Amino acid sequence: MLSVKYFGAVAEKTKVQGENLPISNLSLQELVDELEQKYDLASLSYSIAVNQKLVQDKNSYMLMTNDVVALLPPFAGG
Amino acid sequence: MRYNRQIILPEVGEKGQEKLGKAKVLIIGAGGLGAAILPYLAAAGIGEIGIIDDDSIEISNLQRQVIYKNDAIGKSKALEAKEMALSLNPSIQVNAITDTLNAKNAIPLFEYYDIMVDATDNLHTKYLINDACVVTNKPFVYGSIYKFQGQVSVFNYQNGPTYRCLFPDESSNSKNCVDAGVMGISVGIIGMFQANEVLKMVLGIGNVLSGELLIYNMLNNDQQKFDLVKTNTIVLSRLDFEKKYNVVENTVLEITANEALEQMENPDVLFLDVRNEEELPKMSLPNAIQIPLSELEENLDQLDSNKTILVYCQSGMRSKKAVEILKKHQFLKVQSIAGGALKLQGIIATDAVSVS
Repeated sequence: MLSVKYFGAVAEKTKVQGENLPISNLSLQELVDELEQKYDLASLSYSIAVNQKLVQDKNSYMLMTNDVVALLPPFAGG
Repeated sequence: MRYNRQIILPEVGEKGQEKLGKAKVLIIGAGGLGAAILPYLAAAGIGEIGIIDDDSIEISNLQRQVIYKNDAIGKSKALEAKEMALSLNPSIQVNAITDTLNAKNAIPLFEYYDIMVDATDNLHTKYLINDACVVTNKPFVYGSIYKFQGQVSVFNYQNGPTYRCLFPDESSNSKNCVDAGVMGISVGIIGMFQANEVLKMVLGIGNVLSGELLIYNMLNNDQQKFDLVKTNTIVLSRLDFEKKYNVVENTVLEITANEALEQMENPDVLFLDVRNEEELPKMSLPNAIQIPLSELEENLDQLDSNKTILVYCQSGMRSKKAVEILKKHQFLKVQSIAGGALKLQGIIATDAVSVS
């Protein structure tokens, strides 16, 4: 199972802090596209980490079962 | 005697206390985060602390900006913060700067201080802090809140990753505290994390939160760290910085009289005359309103902030002042017409632009 965690304004949209998805053979970009469509995230800006490491190149990153993906938007309040 | 309880820690000692006394730290923003950070840095004996903020204390600040007293409402945050810090520890120096951080003052300030602490509430200033730190080769301690979650990191520390390595996209639109709501405790917790990073850097102890983003969830105490690497390796010179910020700001704020007149029939544009009523030439533009500059701040409700507001006066000086006032009150689409009414009138007269 792939695990996805949501933070800040992203979690506000998904209405959950995280979820497990039965997904395999997927690039990170493909996962992001799916999530953007499912939760209407296109208006938000966020960075992405896999297994607690920031990932820049989403296209070439192939996800594996048990990966933990995190969607990290910038916070602005102070 | 004052610092005895921290000096007896082997990690601090007399040497560490000396380092604290020699350190110069700039806190950018005297709001919720700043109010948490300042007293602890002052009490610990940071030798020189700058605090920059141009805001005045409002009653709605007091649930989270706990260094301010109820009877200080209306007073300057920076000055009140300085007074509080000095009453806590008169042996340090505190510099109050009653201004916003901008592209002009950032570089000289950052050159003077050793460590910057981001206690701001908007993304634009965070990018400004980041870029000015890159230019001056200084670290900054980032802290930010979204409702019950907080982020902390240290950027540009010993050539480490910067804010742009984490969030390259400058056009993002995270809500700030005024929009999203926040508990005082939340800014307090994140401010404490930031103050702790400052002390660690000065003392040279522990692991500085560089190359890592900490996210803390106040509702379930979940704490996570994410690793980031330096991806933005663009060397920013002082000249690049000034071009990027100053030029952009200037062009956005002014429009030529010709360009302004092209917008005359645009229903989304409002012409604002900030001259006094008796001033000539009288202009009869459509979609126009007259509010003398001296009365502008009391009459902002007459202006529709959804419209682009083109401001003019007689020659273009007062209208610049008006643009500053409007920007301060969250009117985002505001420009001053260069040359003012005299220039507009000249163009209308010679080009026979029809004025209804």
